Formats: sequence, structure tokens, C-alpha cells
Amino acid sequence: MYEARTYSQILPDGKAYRFYFLQEVKSFITSPSHGAKLKGPGLYEISGVAYSGTGRIQKVMVSADGGQSFAQAALQEPVLSKAFTRFRLPWRWDGGPATLQSRAWDEAGNVQPTRAEFVAVRGELAKPAPVLAFPNQHYNSITSWGVATNGEVKHVYA
Amino acid sequence: MFTRKRTIFAATVLLAMTAAAAIAETPNLGKPIDEAAIAAWDISILPDGTGLPKGSGTPAQGAVIYAQQCVACHGDNGRGGAAAALVSDQKIAGINAGQKTIKNFWPYATTIFDFIRRAMPFTSPRSLSDDEVYALTAYILAENKLIGADEAMDAQSLPKVKMPNRDNFIIRFPDRI
Repeated sequence: MYEARTYSQILPDGKAYRFYFLQEVKSFITSPSHGAKLKGPGLYEISGVAYSGTGRIQKVMVSADGGQSFAQAALQEPVLSKAFTRFRLPWRWDGGPATLQSRAWDEAGNVQPTRAEFVAVRGELAKPAPVLAFPNQHYNSITSWGVATNGEVKHVYA
Repeated sequence: MFTRKRTIFAATVLLAMTAAAAIAETPNLGKPIDEAAIAAWDISILPDGTGLPKGSGTPAQGAVIYAQQCVACHGDNGRGGAAAALVSDQKIAGINAGQKTIKNFWPYATTIFDFIRRAMPFTSPRSLSDDEVYALTAYILAENKLIGADEAMDAQSLPKVKMPNRDNFIIRFPDRI
């Protein structure tokens, strides 16, 4: 009961998903990420993890311009079903503002949703909910890291 | 040569059968549990009321128990305190996850009985009698205006209480059930 009440995802129209376990395809960049500071323009390795509850990760695309263009990242073997899969891609930072994103596909053909796609289904809170309210069960949309010209990396919505 | 092969074959078959017999046995851990011991743990109430015990209670009886056992954490009239609100006027649509309460979210009233009996009071769960749990269930339902103020709850009446959010649960992956 506690799980069903606490972890059943509510939707904007008043419906709720019945409790379920499956974690859908997701990825996020772990380096660089929120809190990091790039020392200056130059070559960096973008790296992160991807996983899917429906099978193996098929590919991960990485963007440095907020999703306008993507390049395919290399996956570290072994790529196993329902397991963390490390991806990496070299990136030359020119010192300008950048927005880093990763997007994963799994072998079942599922694709990680953009934030806009996710919000369209799940809605968006007017203000942050209490942490103990567990507001974002099964959150799997794209996470964006904004790189400022001084090298500071922060979480942004993009 | 032929005889030796047959001997090895027979020995292999015998070994395989012995292994199968060993698997069928228990690993000899623990001790058998009897029905009475299982019954003490087998307290799940299904949404349709299956498993509800004998006994009954009214909202008025529940109010007295609430004041003794529940009010310190759940607040006056179940409006919430250190623990979650049990009585609310939250709407169903457009809420955040912190606004899920019994009245606007729980699909079945029978769960209230199961949860109280299983887990409350927080400091001494399983200490209430079934009559007391029925009374508290009736009190919470009545305070939420889901039943009348004089309606007693028992194994027959509790499953008949229709919760407002009953039909709002959808299955995320129908083909995976």
C-alpha cells in the first residue's frame, strides 16, 4: 500500500499510473556535470551512463548545443541488458556557452524522451514539491548541463 | 569392453537419479511451520474485502480511539501533523505527489483497515483489536464524508464504500502484465 500510494505516478488530468517497476530507457552525463568547472577551452571527454529496463542500450547520442546537433558516443563493453552502460565522446570546448545532453536508444526501439515530450505527458509542477513527496517516479527525460563561458557547469532546462 | 561400458552407463543413470532425488528433498534448514503460525502473519486484505475479519466499529467509537492512539502524529480530526493527513479536501486532478491523501487518491477503502491493523499505532503495531481497527476505519471514512456519521464498518459494509478515485488508475504497460 505504501509503495502504491507513494510511488504511483500522478498525471495532470487526475489519472495515475498503477504501480509498476519498469525503468524506461534513460541516460545522463556524469562528466562534466553540475558543480564541475572546466579549466579553459580545450579537449574534454564527455562521459555518462545509460540503461533501459527493456533491454540493452543500442546507441547514445550526445549534443553540446542543447539538442540541435548530435554525435554518436562510443559504448563501453560489455553492453548488457538492464545494466548501466558507460558511454563516452571526445569534445573540444571552444570557450563559448554550451549545453550538454545525452539521449539513449534501447534494443526494443524505445528512445529517451526530450524534456518537452516528457512534460507533455506528465505535466510540470508550478514549484518544487517536497523531497519526501517523491514527485518524479520513473523520470527518464534528457538531462541538460549548461556550460558557462567561465567554465562553470550547472543544471539547466533545455 | 561392452560390459564395462554398460556398467559405466548404469552407474551414470544411478547417479543422475540420486541427484534428482536429492534436489526434490528440502535442504534441511529451519523447521516446518504449522497453519496456526502462518495465520498470525497472513493478514492481507484484498481490495474486494477478502480476508476481512469478524467485528465492527462506528465512527463515534473510532473518535475515542483516535484521540488516544493517533492524534499525536496525525493531528486534530486527522488533518495532519508529524504524520500524513488522513482527512482532506484535496482535489483529484492537478495535485502534486505530496497532496495524495486517502480521500482523493486511495482506490479502495479496505486498504485503510489493512494498513491500520498492519502498521499502526506506529510505536506498537498489531496492538489494536479488530473492532478498534474497524472503528478507526469508520472514523476516517466519516470524517472524509465518504460514509455517514453513524455508519458502522464491518466485513460486509467496508468493501461497499466507493472511493472517489477508484477508476482513475491506468496501466502503464498493458502488454507487460
